[in-house]
Amino acid sequence: MNNINQLLFFRFIILSLSQFIIFNNFLIFGNTVNIYLIFIIVFPLNFNKSLAYIITFIFGFAIDFFSNSFGIITFSLLISILIKPYILKFAFGNFDVNKVRKTSEYISGTSLYQQTSYLFLMFFIHQLILNTVEIFSLQNFDVIFKKTLISSIISIIFSYFLLLIFFRKNA
Amino acid sequence: MRNFVDFIIKNINSIIFLILISISISQIFSRNYYQGSKINLFSNSVLNSINEIKTEIFEYFNLVKTNQKLVIENSFLKNNLNYDYSYDSIIFDKNYSYIPSKVISNSIKFSKNFITIDKGSFHNIEIDDGIITNQGVIGVVNNVSDRFATGISILNSQLKINAVLKKSQHFGSLYWTANNHQIMELEDIPKSANISIGDTIISGGMSSIFPRNIPIGFISDFKLPESTNYYVISVKLFEDFGSLRNVYVVKNDFRGEFNDLKNLNE
Repeated sequence: MNNINQLLFFRFIILSLSQFIIFNNFLIFGNTVNIYLIFIIVFPLNFNKSLAYIITFIFGFAIDFFSNSFGIITFSLLISILIKPYILKFAFGNFDVNKVRKTSEYISGTSLYQQTSYLFLMFFIHQLILNTVEIFSLQNFDVIFKKTLISSIISIIFSYFLLLIFFRKNA
Repeated sequence: MRNFVDFIIKNINSIIFLILISISISQIFSRNYYQGSKINLFSNSVLNSINEIKTEIFEYFNLVKTNQKLVIENSFLKNNLNYDYSYDSIIFDKNYSYIPSKVISNSIKFSKNFITIDKGSFHNIEIDDGIITNQGVIGVVNNVSDRFATGISILNSQLKINAVLKKSQHFGSLYWTANNHQIMELEDIPKSANISIGDTIISGGMSSIFPRNIPIGFISDFKLPESTNYYVISVKLFEDFGSLRNVYVVKNDFRGEFNDLKNLNE
């Protein structure tokens, strides 16, 4: 357990700092790359739920603080961690949460198609909530949708490589 | 209490999630100007429509209070307004004060009817004060206790009050024949007065009890008995004595002076 706590702490620091220092500072097609969602994507599966919510809240608050978007990222991250188990089930089929500790154990042996759909759903739903709350007007739904699609595809590309490089063994 | 604690322990995950998400939502709306103003606009429009309904309901239940306030305000205005400034010949017209009060009991079925009101000597009411409404003369106070007063209604065959024809200013005295509570008789109007049905009768203001120019009624019928020079006129009252509720007691502030002066001549 201690090992996992340390791991979470390092991920917290590294992901928030890299988002703040690197990825918040450039735009691709007018969108920032949101790699901080990796924190949720590789969050331990059988972790205490309440604690997971609180850690997510603090993480989101930190990202919000650096991005000048008070509460919006926190809100969408909390929703993301709430729906994560359902998306996992949808992408990979049924699993026993108590037996699988790390996401990597769970993912090993699954197809690229399954992994991509998991990433895409997580990113797409997260970005959809984020953009909806940010733009906050249903009359501009086309703008919301376009932004969501572009930014989730860009973010997926970046985070897929990051996951391959850094989180392959320890996810 | 045990059940409550059990409930909290059982649902601790959901409760923590709800708390955190509400914190983040409150952050969104309090710290982000755009989202905050949008939600304000929306909640204001909802709240306003609810408030409007609420105000309408409360206003309905406050109608009694509003009514009382209006009565008081009305009397205040009447006190400040010099009640009659179209005539300046009678000085005491300007020296009346008005006290709003309510009718407690009233009758119209006897030949000598009396009226009771809910204000007495505590409220500065004295014997011989007048009782009026906007639509007519009601009576004269004849007995006063601490909190109540009784008055002789003008529907009392013993009372005669001074009245004039508005058109020609001929004066006469008005009395009740105890037949119909809406009809009174006006006598002493001379033959020379050119009267017709529908002419308005107003109070004369010659008795120091009532001010001038309070409307009383209109002529519904008149006849000229043979070998007399005076009309007998039937006057239909404006005020419906069957449904009397709010009245004003009218006080002449200079009645003493007036009566002293009058007594010198007698």
